Amino acid sequence: MDVVSQLQRQFVDFTTSLYHEGFLDDQFTQLQKLQDESNPEFVAEVVSLFFEDSENLLNNLANALQQQIVDYKQVDAHVHQFKGSSSSIGAQRVKNVCAAFRNLCEGKNLDGCIRCLQQLKLEYSLVKSKLETLFRLEQQILAAGGTVPSMA
Amino acid sequence: MGSVLRRVFKKISGFSNYFERNQSPRSRRPFHRDVEQEEFQYASSHCLSSYYSVFVARLAIMVMLAILIGLLTLLTWHFTRVYTAKSLENLAFGLRYEILQRPILRMWNILNSTVEITTAQVRLSEYVIRRHSNPVNQAQQVELYEVMRDVTWALFASRKALNAITINYRNGFVQAFHRDRRSNSTFYIYSDLVNYSISGSYGTNTLSSLEGWSGNISATWYREPLDPATGEKIGKARKIPPDDLINIAGYSQVPDGAASWHVAVSKYTDSPLLSAALPVWDSAKESIVAVVGVTTALYSVGQLMKELVEFHSGHIYLTSQEGWLLATSTNAPLLKNSTTGTQLMMAIDSEDHVIRMGAELLKRAYGNQFPPSHEVHVENARLGHQLYYIDSFFLNLQRLPMVGVIIIPRKYVMGKVDERAFKTLVILISASLCILAVGCVCIFILTNGVSKEMKLRAELISHLDARRKAEASSNYKSQFLANMSHELRTPMAAVIGLLDILMCDDCLTNEQYATITQIRKCSTALLRLLNNILDLSKVESGKLVLEESEFDLGRELEGLVDMFSVQCINHSVETVLDLSDDMPRLVQGDSARVVQIFANLISNSIKFTTSGYIVLRGWCENPNTYSNTRKFPLNQKESRCMHKMSLKQHTNHTKRSCKKEDKVILWFEVDDTGCGIDPSKWESVFESFEQADPSTTRTHGGTGLGLCIVRTLVNKMGGEIKVVKKNGPGTLMQLYLLLNTPPDTAGKHCSLKFTDHSLMVLLALNGRMGRSIMSQWLQKNQVFTQEASEWHELTQILRELFQAKRYEEPRECSRPGELHTREMKDSVFIIVVDISLLDLNTDIWREQLNFLNKYYGKAKFAWILNHDTSNTVKMELRSKGHLLMVNRPLYQAKMVQILEAAIKERNLELRKKLNTLKSTADGDSHECLEIDPIQYDAASSDDSDKSEMGSPNPVKESHILKPTEFSNTPYVTVENCVVKSNGFSTNDPSQVRSTLCDRLCSGKVVGEHKSLGGLRILLAEDTPVLQRVATIMLEKLGATVVAVGDGKQAVDSLKITPSADGCRRDSPTEDYRGRTETEIRDGPPYDLIVMDCQMPKMDGYEATKEIRKSEMETGSHIPIVALTAHAMSSDEAKCLEVGMDAYLTKPIDCKQMVSTILSLTRRSV
Repeated sequence: MDVVSQLQRQFVDFTTSLYHEGFLDDQFTQLQKLQDESNPEFVAEVVSLFFEDSENLLNNLANALQQQIVDYKQVDAHVHQFKGSSSSIGAQRVKNVCAAFRNLCEGKNLDGCIRCLQQLKLEYSLVKSKLETLFRLEQQILAAGGTVPSMA
Repeated sequence: MGSVLRRVFKKISGFSNYFERNQSPRSRRPFHRDVEQEEFQYASSHCLSSYYSVFVARLAIMVMLAILIGLLTLLTWHFTRVYTAKSLENLAFGLRYEILQRPILRMWNILNSTVEITTAQVRLSEYVIRRHSNPVNQAQQVELYEVMRDVTWALFASRKALNAITINYRNGFVQAFHRDRRSNSTFYIYSDLVNYSISGSYGTNTLSSLEGWSGNISATWYREPLDPATGEKIGKARKIPPDDLINIAGYSQVPDGAASWHVAVSKYTDSPLLSAALPVWDSAKESIVAVVGVTTALYSVGQLMKELVEFHSGHIYLTSQEGWLLATSTNAPLLKNSTTGTQLMMAIDSEDHVIRMGAELLKRAYGNQFPPSHEVHVENARLGHQLYYIDSFFLNLQRLPMVGVIIIPRKYVMGKVDERAFKTLVILISASLCILAVGCVCIFILTNGVSKEMKLRAELISHLDARRKAEASSNYKSQFLANMSHELRTPMAAVIGLLDILMCDDCLTNEQYATITQIRKCSTALLRLLNNILDLSKVESGKLVLEESEFDLGRELEGLVDMFSVQCINHSVETVLDLSDDMPRLVQGDSARVVQIFANLISNSIKFTTSGYIVLRGWCENPNTYSNTRKFPLNQKESRCMHKMSLKQHTNHTKRSCKKEDKVILWFEVDDTGCGIDPSKWESVFESFEQADPSTTRTHGGTGLGLCIVRTLVNKMGGEIKVVKKNGPGTLMQLYLLLNTPPDTAGKHCSLKFTDHSLMVLLALNGRMGRSIMSQWLQKNQVFTQEASEWHELTQILRELFQAKRYEEPRECSRPGELHTREMKDSVFIIVVDISLLDLNTDIWREQLNFLNKYYGKAKFAWILNHDTSNTVKMELRSKGHLLMVNRPLYQAKMVQILEAAIKERNLELRKKLNTLKSTADGDSHECLEIDPIQYDAASSDDSDKSEMGSPNPVKESHILKPTEFSNTPYVTVENCVVKSNGFSTNDPSQVRSTLCDRLCSGKVVGEHKSLGGLRILLAEDTPVLQRVATIMLEKLGATVVAVGDGKQAVDSLKITPSADGCRRDSPTEDYRGRTETEIRDGPPYDLIVMDCQMPKMDGYEATKEIRKSEMETGSHIPIVALTAHAMSSDEAKCLEVGMDAYLTKPIDCKQMVSTILSLTRRSV
C-alpha cells in the first residue's frame, strides 16, 4: 500500500506540474472526466490518436516546408489541424506554438515557419514524453492495485 | 463709373471670401460628415455672396438713379438758364442800344437845331446886311443893328433851347442874346456903338478886317435884361467886361469860312456848351461881314440821360472823341475849376466813380484805339463790387465826333434772371436730392424685400438639404449598425469565449482570476449593450422579422421568472408570476422576442425596486372566454378595470379581427414597488436613450434602450405598452400582445380537477404578494387554502388543525362551514413551507424540522427552497423524508406539480394499503420530485446556480407522473423514463399535456449527464483526436453519435437510410440502441449535425450547402452546428451564411455545446 500511495502522490505531483508548466490545460481534465467504466482506456486512446496524427502532421509540415515553392495554404491547413487536435487533448503549449505558426504562415515567413516547426517538434516531443510518463505512472498504479487519483 | 463699381464689387466679394476663409477652418470639425459640412458651407457662402451681390446691385441702382437725377437737374437748369439768359441778353442789348440812342438822337437834334438856327441866322443876317449894305451914316448903321437885333430875337425866342446867339460884326460890334438858366433870365448884350466906325471897314480887304476883328477887345459891353417872353427891355443896361459872360464867336472861329463846332464852357452854366460858328458872307461872297455863333447847352442831353437812367438805372455819359466829358446821367459836375478857369473834364476824372471806373476800363482795354465799328460791348465788367454791361457807341459828327457810353448794372437786366436761375437751381437740386433720397429708400425697401426673400429661399434650400442629409445619415446609421451586427457581436463573443478559456486555466493567481472575472463581467455587459443597440437598429432599419413558431408561453415566462428570482433574492424583492388559467398554453410567435420583452421589463423593475415585489401578471382577453367575473388581485382591481374601459374602444376592432384568425389578445402587467416613474415621463421612457430620471444613470446605470426595444417589439407584435397609474408606490406597466394561437389548442386550458381530491393547502410563505396570489388562485380552483407568513403562525395553524383532527370533533374545524372533518380526513393536506421560514442562521431549524416531522404522514410537505439553500439543509430534509422540493419562486405550474405529486402519493399509499403489499424496497424508496426550472437558453449563465441542486445528489429514483393516467409501476428506471419522454417529445409534439411531464424527467433529474439523451447526432470531423473527444463527450451526454471523417461522408450518410448506416460507433446501452433504431425510421435520420469547418475532400461549408440544398426538396431542417478553431469574426458570419444554425469553437466547451444543442433541438421540436 505504501508503494501505491507513493505512486499516487508521484502521479498527483507530476500531473500538477504538468498543469503548472502549461503542458496541459483544462481540456485534458475534461478528457479525464469523460473516461469511465464504459471507456476505461479513453484518455490513452485519444492521446495515442493524437500522437499518430501529430507525427503525420509534423512529417507533412516538414515536407511542405522543404518544397521549392512553399504552399502556405497547405501548411496552414496542417497547422490548423494540429492546433485543433492539440487543443482537443489540452496540449496547451503545442497549441500556442500552433497559433504563432499560423500567424507566421499568414505572413509567409519561411524562416519563421521553419523555426516554428522546430519549436513545434520540440514541444510535441516534450508533451509526448510527459504524457507517456503520465500513462506509465498510471499503469504502475493500476499494476500496484491502486486507483488512479482523480484530478478534478 | 463702371470700373469703380466693379472695384467695389471686387472688394466686397473679396471680403466675403476672406470671411469665408476665416470661417471655414474654425467650423471644420474632425468628423466623418466632413463632406456634408462642406456642402453646408458652400450653401452658406452661396447665400452670403448672393447677399453681397444684392447689396452691390442695390448700390449700383442707387448710384445710377443719382446720376440720372443729377443730369436731369443740370440739363433743366442749363436750358432754362441759357435760353432765358440769351434772349434776355439780346433784349438787354437792344435796350441798352435804345437807351443810348435817345440821348444821342437828342444830341443830334440839338446839333441839328443849332446848325439850323445858325444857318437861319446866317441867311437872315445876309439878307439884312445886303439890304443895309453900305450904310452911310450912323443912323443907317443903327437901323441895321436894330433890324438885326429884332431878327435875332425872333430866332432866339423861337428856340428855347438856345443858350445864346451872338453876332459879331466885322467892325467889332457884337450883338448877343443870352439865357441864364440858373436865374431864368434873358439878357441882351451889345457892345458900345461909339467906338465902332460905321464905314471903312466894309469892303476893305481881308487884312484890314482882320485888324478890325482884333481891335474890339477894348470895347465896352453892355448887358440889359429882357423879358424872356416878349423881349421887352425890363432893366437898365449895365456895363460888363467883354467875354465875361459868354463866348462870342469871333472871326477866329471860322478861319476858313466854314461852319465850326466846338464845345465851350460857360461861366454861367455848369454844363458844357455846344457852340457853332458860321460866317456871314457879303453878297459877293468875298468877305465875311459877320460871324454868327449859336451856343446850345448840352444840359438837356444830361437831363434826358437822367430821366432815362432814373427809369432804367445805370449810367450814361457822352464824351468827345478825345475823352472830354460832355454829358452824364449823374449830377456830378462836368467841369472842374482850375487855375485857368473852368475846364472840361476827362471821363476818367469824373467824380462819379462808376463812370470813372467804366472809362478807365474802356481806356485800359482799348486805349484810344476804338475798334473800327466804334462800338464796344463789354459784358460782366466788374466795377467795384458789381457787374455791369458797358456799351459805347461812336457818333461821328462833323468836327465833333462823340462817344456815348452806357453802363447798366447787370443786376438791372439779369438780376431777376440770375436770382431766378439761382432759385431754380436750388430748387432743382433740393428736389433732385429729395427724389434721390426717396428713390434710394424705395430701392432699398424693394431690394430689401427681394434680398430677404432670397435669403429665406437660400435658407430653405439649405434646410431642405440638411434635412435630406440628416435623414440619409440616420438611415445610414441604422443600416450601418444593422450591418455591423455580426462584426460587433463576434469579437465580443470571442473576447468572452477567450476569457472563459483563460478562466478555466488553473495557473492563474487569485488576483489575475479576479481581474479576468471583472473583465468578463464588463464584456458581458458590453455585449448586452451591443445587443440592445443592434436590436434597436435592426428594428429601425426594418430588418427585424418576427418568427412565427409555436411556443409555450407559460413555460417561457416561468423560466424567466425563475431566472430573475435568483437576482431578486439578493435584495429581498419577491418575484411573482401570476398567469391566469385562461391563458392559452401554446401560442404562435417569436418566443425569443416575447421573452426579451419581459426580460427587459422585469430587469428594469428589478433595477429600480429595492424592496417589495415584482409581479408579472398575464391574462387573456379572448372574446369567447372573457368574463367580467374574473378576480383581480388586491388593489389593482380598480385600476385595471379602469384601464380596460379606456382601452375598450381600441381593442374592439382588434378583437373583431382576431376572431377570424384565431388571435388572442394577451394582457400583461409588470407591477413593481420601486421608485416609480413621474407621470410626465410616462411617454418618454419608451424613447431611445431616455431615462425617467437622468440621475438614475449614476445609481443604476443602463442606457435607456431597454424600454425602447420593448416598445418596438410590442408594436411589432401588434400590441401596445404604456405606463398605468397605480395606487401606491412603484410602476405599473401594462401591455398587450396580439398572438396567434394554434387552431387545435385554442381555448383548451389546463382544466384542473383538484376538487375531486378535496385538497387542502397550507401556504407558509414569506412573500406576501406571492402568497396571496397563490391562495387566490387556489381558492378559485376550489382548493381550500390557508396562509401563514411566519413560523409561529404556521405552528399555530398546524396545532389548531391537527388537534381538531385528533379529537375528531366535527364542529371543531378551523373554518367552520367550509371544511368538514370527514372530508378532511379523506382529503390530502399539503403544507407548502418556505425554507426561509426556518431559522437557518442558528441550529434552531433542526428543531423546527423535528416539530414539523410530527405532522409527517398527516400532511404532505412541499418545500420551497432558495437557490442558495445549503446542501446540509437539503440533506436533512431528504433524510427526514421531505422529498417534495421546488425552487423559489412558486407559481401555478409548480403548484400544480406539487398538488399532483401529492395526489399521486396519496393514491399510491391508498393502493398500497389496499393491496397490503409490503416490500423492503418500498420502505426505502422515497418519491422524490424535484421540479426544476426550464433550461432556458437565455439564462445559460445561471445554469450553475440551477444545477446546484440536482447534480451533487444523484437521484435514486424517479417517477414519471402523467396527470391523466395512472402509472401502475412505481419503479421506473431512469433510462426508460428518458426514452419515453423523448419519444413523446419527438414523435408527438402536439401532446401538450406531456410537456410538463417532460420537464420533470428531461430536466435536471437526468441532469448534466444525460441532457442530450436520445438525440442522434452526426459528427463530421477529420481530426481523429477531436473526433474521438467529441464523440465521447456527446455520448456521455446521452446522445447517439455517428462520426464521419469529412463533409462528403456527412452528406452521404444523410442520403442513405439510417438503418443501413454502418458507421455508428457505439451506443451507451443495447436497449437504447434498439429503441433509437426503431424510432429513427419514423423521423429524420439525425436530430443534429456537428460539422467541422475545415475538412479534407469537402469542407464544412460546402457540406452544409449541399445538405441545405437537398433539404429544399423535403422541406425539413436539420440543425447544423459549426465547429471551428478559427474563432474569428468572419467565420461565424460565413457559417451562418451557408446555412448553419450555430457555432462552436474548439476546444469544445461542454456546457456551451450542451446549451447550443439543446436550444437547437428544442426549437426544431
